Amino acid sequence: MSGKKMEWGTRVGVILAVAGSAVGLGNFLRFPGQAAAHGGGAFMIPYICALVFLALPIGWAEWAMARHGGAKGFHSGPGILGVAGRGRLTRYLGVLAVLIPMVVYMYYVYIEAWCLRYAWEYLTGGVQLNGTITEQVAESARFFGEATGTDKDGVLNMSALFWLVVVALNIVLVYRGLKGGIEKFCQFALPAMAILATIVLIRVLTLGTPDPANPEQNVLNGLGYLWNPDFSKLTSFETWLAAAGQIFFSLSVGFGVILNYASYLKRKDDIALSGFTASATNELFEVGFGGLITITAAFVFLGVSGIGAGFGLGFQTLPVVFEQMGIAGRWIGFAWFFLLFLAAITSSISMLQPVKAFFEEALGISSGKAIALVSIICGLGSFWVIWFSKNMVALDAMDFWVGTFCIFLLATVQVICFGWIWGVDRGAAELDQGALMKIPRFFFFIMKYVAPVYLLVVLIGFIAIDLRPKLGTMQPVALWTLLIIGAVVALLVTVVAIGERRWRAAGLDLDGKQP
Amino acid sequence: MNTGGWIFMTISLALVWGTAIWAYTRLLTAPRETSDDSE
Repeated sequence: MSGKKMEWGTRVGVILAVAGSAVGLGNFLRFPGQAAAHGGGAFMIPYICALVFLALPIGWAEWAMARHGGAKGFHSGPGILGVAGRGRLTRYLGVLAVLIPMVVYMYYVYIEAWCLRYAWEYLTGGVQLNGTITEQVAESARFFGEATGTDKDGVLNMSALFWLVVVALNIVLVYRGLKGGIEKFCQFALPAMAILATIVLIRVLTLGTPDPANPEQNVLNGLGYLWNPDFSKLTSFETWLAAAGQIFFSLSVGFGVILNYASYLKRKDDIALSGFTASATNELFEVGFGGLITITAAFVFLGVSGIGAGFGLGFQTLPVVFEQMGIAGRWIGFAWFFLLFLAAITSSISMLQPVKAFFEEALGISSGKAIALVSIICGLGSFWVIWFSKNMVALDAMDFWVGTFCIFLLATVQVICFGWIWGVDRGAAELDQGALMKIPRFFFFIMKYVAPVYLLVVLIGFIAIDLRPKLGTMQPVALWTLLIIGAVVALLVTVVAIGERRWRAAGLDLDGKQP
Repeated sequence: MNTGGWIFMTISLALVWGTAIWAYTRLLTAPRETSDDSE
């Protein structure tokens, strides 16, 4: 194996790093829209079910398999799942744990650049929307298209410069290693995010009824738009699918990140409470901030028609909202977009790290060479996303096939590895080692029997409801993107084959035969 | 916001804040980490 031994500095450090990986744009932009569209407050029922019966158990399984694999010298999905899955099949399926962070990183840094661009514009007074609200909405949409390059294909837009800055920052932070780079940054970034989110939350909750001509557009009704329950949605399979999808997306489960981060922990380090705390931190940001800020702010100024979801809500609607806040709007806007930037970068560095670790240990190259190699490959992929930026076609294709479908696949592989191959008893013993909290035993029943079934139902539902329509409507750019993803898979499989030979020659227990 | 909205929001916020506070309290009051020993 190459390089000096990497390890986390403190117990809290690894938790903040995992939480930083989990807390991202989805907490603030995706969750509110999903909740509002799928039953409002009632959405919390399938959401909490997915958290308890899927995400928490699978998350714990990842932490356990990762620390176990790390003790045998492996820090990436193929190595770790080869050990836990006791052989070649799961080792090669572990390629998913490298593919996912690698491809998601390619488009995520582009979005991260938007956040930094918007934060810069607000800091320098550059976002100015004039005229009536209708005119401001149109101007905001135009600004978004121009600032992000999504109005046309090609790379000649200012956000490309911000993309370069963002990529450089990611490389520097990951190159500095776990303790000096990722952990140190997350120890600053997570508290900063909490402070910025609190500032924005207080401003939003004190908006009252800003427009006397529209008294129904007030904070309480804004909160009600998201939180008022619609129980009829609970009878729809799509609601349960949306909740499971949101939890996966939000907690970075089945992403390959926890498999890497937790592999640097020692046998005596706790993973039970750490995994729980990282998830709790994510939920705090998602429900405690995301659930209160975004839709409320949009509703108060723009009413029901102003409610959108995703990028539209975050980058087009909210600038119009900030414009209504007077002088304070510029600073609240800066706080908001800098918060999104910090949320994004703590996630993107967590994607770069497992990919770097994989190339290091499979090819036996130095940290510097691994980072250079990853940067080139991801840079090319990112370039593809930026070039074909019109209507985000390439981005959407990567997000769907890798950022959604592959995550469900990897989570299925992991839960079967843990529950049925490595074994729940061995897994439980690993989780109990150094534990600062006792995981209730029923969770191991859930890990073995409930989670796999739940996940398979979600996967089948996803294939039936989302995948088949997608296959029928793919544009040429999306097809080419799929081919590129296929090429990346082929590359990773080749590297695993090289790694396999090296690991056997080094006498490593790559098939998990030894205790 | 109706009664259901208040109930769901209050319970959800209490849950997320409560679990986060419990988790961090337990973490920060746990015995100190000792120096490294080999695997």
